[in-house]
Amino acid sequence: MGEAMKEQQLLESIRSVVLKQSDNLEDKCTKIQGYDFNGGVNYHQLLKSLSTTGFQASNLGDAIDVVNEMLDWKLADECPTEDCSEKEKDPAYRESVKCKIFLGFTSNLVSSGIRDIIRYLVQHHMVDVVVTTAGGVEEDLIKCLAPTYRGDFSLPGADLRSKGLNRIGNLLVPNDNYCKFEDWIMNIFDEMMEEQNTKKFLWTPSKVISRLGKEINDESSYLYWAHKNNIPVYCPGLTDGSLGDMLYIHSIRKDPGLVVDVVQDIRSMNSEAVHVGQRKTGIIVLGGGMPKHHICNANMMRNGADYAVFINTAQEFDGSDSGARPDEAVSWGKIRGSAKTVKVHCDATIAFPLLVAETFASKASKPADNKL
Amino acid sequence: MSDEEHHFEAKGDAGASKTYPQQAGTIRKGGHIVIKARPCKVVEVSTSKTGKHGHAKCHFVAIDIFNGKKLEDIVPSSHNCDVPHVNRTDYQLIDIAEDGFVSLLTDSGQTKDDLKLPTDEALLKQMKDAFAEGKDLIVSVMSAMGEEQICGLKDLGNK
Repeated sequence: MGEAMKEQQLLESIRSVVLKQSDNLEDKCTKIQGYDFNGGVNYHQLLKSLSTTGFQASNLGDAIDVVNEMLDWKLADECPTEDCSEKEKDPAYRESVKCKIFLGFTSNLVSSGIRDIIRYLVQHHMVDVVVTTAGGVEEDLIKCLAPTYRGDFSLPGADLRSKGLNRIGNLLVPNDNYCKFEDWIMNIFDEMMEEQNTKKFLWTPSKVISRLGKEINDESSYLYWAHKNNIPVYCPGLTDGSLGDMLYIHSIRKDPGLVVDVVQDIRSMNSEAVHVGQRKTGIIVLGGGMPKHHICNANMMRNGADYAVFINTAQEFDGSDSGARPDEAVSWGKIRGSAKTVKVHCDATIAFPLLVAETFASKASKPADNKL
Repeated sequence: MSDEEHHFEAKGDAGASKTYPQQAGTIRKGGHIVIKARPCKVVEVSTSKTGKHGHAKCHFVAIDIFNGKKLEDIVPSSHNCDVPHVNRTDYQLIDIAEDGFVSLLTDSGQTKDDLKLPTDEALLKQMKDAFAEGKDLIVSVMSAMGEEQICGLKDLGNK
């Protein structure tokens, strides 16, 4: 009799451990539901299903939501503050004040086809400030002179060197492209130096970039559109790329060469955040490194951005800034505690076109066009 | 335009051949090159193959043969550089004038008075001392791109 009781008790305790009564998530959490292709291939619905698919698909779905919030927000959504002026109380004015969007990306993405997505955003003035690295500038210009090709990650380096081919991941850029870039840019540097010396004009990285965007005069270039739409492109590390090589060579040939003032640019960049007035700010950064930090740091000057979307493959375990999640930036005051933030752990070449499709591009096109 | 009474050499044909072109990739250490219109002697050459910086290049570090200043230039290897014709001519020293000009005897028996004493202190002292001692002196004059300078001294012993 005692044995049966003990066994019963054992079974009960095992059951209570293995089949522990669970909390009911019914009304608290979203159900996981993937896309059903029985409904046909509907791309918009497919992308909408990301949110409920789980893992990084869900993060991308959330990122799409955050960007749409960035684009939808207007000052009219907020209550007027006590100290606001008559102009700021005007409803029409409040409807017109939108979120200021900072877009940052690394140079490998400009070597990739993402350059054309970026061009679309800049062409239609959908972002307000751009931050990138030197390669992010020159790769866009060089593509107007000669194309970048698809290669393979496994192509042997020594073999490529002997053929004059430079590998960027699974892309290839022939040396010849850089020769064309050199031929194109040297005369422009001469003109710029002339202006520096005769008109006492002081160049900064953003002014140099604007000038190059003007000179390339090619609608396929995002820098051309940035110049045309007066969208500043900041690049404190302008010398860290082929542009730097060209500046180096130019400064020897035409000693002492161009002077490029980074201090004036940090004034401008930080002012972009500080002087937003009533506007909210949003951060969209692809990749890590300097563009990510530079944008977050500028936003720190206004006690943090209101929205942030990071798309990168970096991890935080090594303490790197590249891998740091938005919450780390909150600890610095670079992003507000109340901000809507998402990090999508994904290669931007996959995530970004999908994100733009469901945000910037879908808002821009007519409703009828969405039914793809 | 005022006509000046001036003793000058016929520089007509010399002007045309002050320099000659040479491919940058063929200029070596110890050779000569024109940088920023100055005749220079090359002390360092480094090359970089075609790459992210553009065309293959030669990086020259050179010393101005007259004033000793260090100059640099970067030239695409396939481009031509100007190389100065550098000549050395020996003249007999006749006199050192008070204003620093020297009087030299040319091969043809004419005097050449348009050169100043060298600026190099060691050479200058050597010249002044030897001349004061009444020694027979031959000066070497280096000329390039229309500029001349005494660059050496030979002592033939007392007059």
